Amino acid sequence: MSRYLRQVWALAAKDLRVEFRTRERFVAMAAFVVLTSLLFNYAVDWTLLNPRDIASALIWMIIVLGGLLGLGRTFELEKEDGAMEGLLVAPLPRDALFLGKVIANCVLLGLVEVLAVLVVSLFFQVDFTQNWLAIGAVLLVGTIGFVSLGTLFSGITAGTRMGETLLPVLLFPLLVPLVAFGASSTASLLAGFPPAVVYGSLRILAAFSILALVSGVGLFRFIVEE
Amino acid sequence: MAHVLEARDLVRRYGPIRAVDGISFGLVEGDLLTVLGPNGAGKSTLLGLLGGSLRPYSGEIWFRGELRDPGVTDWRAEIGVLSHRTFLYGALSARENLSFYGSLYDLPDIAERVDARLAEVGLSEAAGRYVREFSRGMRQRLALARTLLHDPSLIFLDEPFTGLDVHASALLREVLVRLKDGCRTVILVTHNLSEGLALADRVAIQVQGRFAFLGARHEIPDGAEERFYREWVEDL
Repeated sequence: MSRYLRQVWALAAKDLRVEFRTRERFVAMAAFVVLTSLLFNYAVDWTLLNPRDIASALIWMIIVLGGLLGLGRTFELEKEDGAMEGLLVAPLPRDALFLGKVIANCVLLGLVEVLAVLVVSLFFQVDFTQNWLAIGAVLLVGTIGFVSLGTLFSGITAGTRMGETLLPVLLFPLLVPLVAFGASSTASLLAGFPPAVVYGSLRILAAFSILALVSGVGLFRFIVEE
Repeated sequence: MAHVLEARDLVRRYGPIRAVDGISFGLVEGDLLTVLGPNGAGKSTLLGLLGGSLRPYSGEIWFRGELRDPGVTDWRAEIGVLSHRTFLYGALSARENLSFYGSLYDLPDIAERVDARLAEVGLSEAAGRYVREFSRGMRQRLALARTLLHDPSLIFLDEPFTGLDVHASALLREVLVRLKDGCRTVILVTHNLSEGLALADRVAIQVQGRFAFLGARHEIPDGAEERFYREWVEDL
């Protein structure tokens, strides 16, 4: 393994170790997922709507809004006793720092997504087992794009006083293509269409996610170096 | 003798305030430069620029005869920074903190090195405890171990005595004496005159972003250090 990859892994492992010990972000995101699903369960008149029709929109909105709670606090850990400065004076490429954070956030959000799928299938009786592999692929690709943008913008807003308020304002407009193609693909797969039907949307989603990741890698150093 | 570190006309502003205002100096191997100055003089900003956590608005930093490129990170492996902030994670144990930084510096034999550094700062028995359970003095001793973990040749110390108990201060002083082995270059930033001058070869007095005085330690008259310092601070 190259030095670069070892550094990326060390950062991601550190973030995950701290998170699994403190559970600060996961608990907030998980509680949001469960409570929002519960509220929706009571807010929607199921005699008028078929749960399957809104399940994909619901799951994507839960993921985006719940994920934001965690992504917004990505750099809180580094504010502790000046840890960010410790990273900046280390021989660590800024993009490695970004990638380490993205990997840790992807793992965290992945766990939240598993919970979201379980909760939605439980509350709304939606069957995710049909096309589960393709649904997993759509969620994975979408997660990479969402986390890349979220981590980048979290870095921007971390140093501002209104950071957690500013993050959704900056991030949501950029997430429109991701949510649109992600939710439509998921809806088609939940409706029982074969995976081949969503390949076009999945390719666009993948292109968006790659662009978000590459942009983050390229721009992150200008954000963290004052 | 060639300069290990050279700053040329460094400028760094925060809005209208020039925290570092055209500072130039050079250090050779083995030098210990103490930068003294009142609060708000821009001393920590200067260290931030030299350490690479801040970017200068203008000016150049040369390291071992080469213009330092912010995009290249290798030169950072030769730098150790000890600040009044420890750069440590409370939810990790002392050993995990050092191992993490060891991985960032891509050190060989991390486990052995971590154990040796923990023993040097007297924290071997607390190696498995979470840092959030440590006292201020223990944290700073661990921060000292972190700073020296990769055996840096250029060491920046930013108010390292702040908040230390007697034991930790004595340990830090002892380590500073050991660091004066002729192979390392040290910059110590402090507003504490006696601690700053105790080990210095060269002294700078920074006021309003500029070096009001830069010279050898022996240029400061013994017994009249405070008056000397005050005159330079008030003159600017």
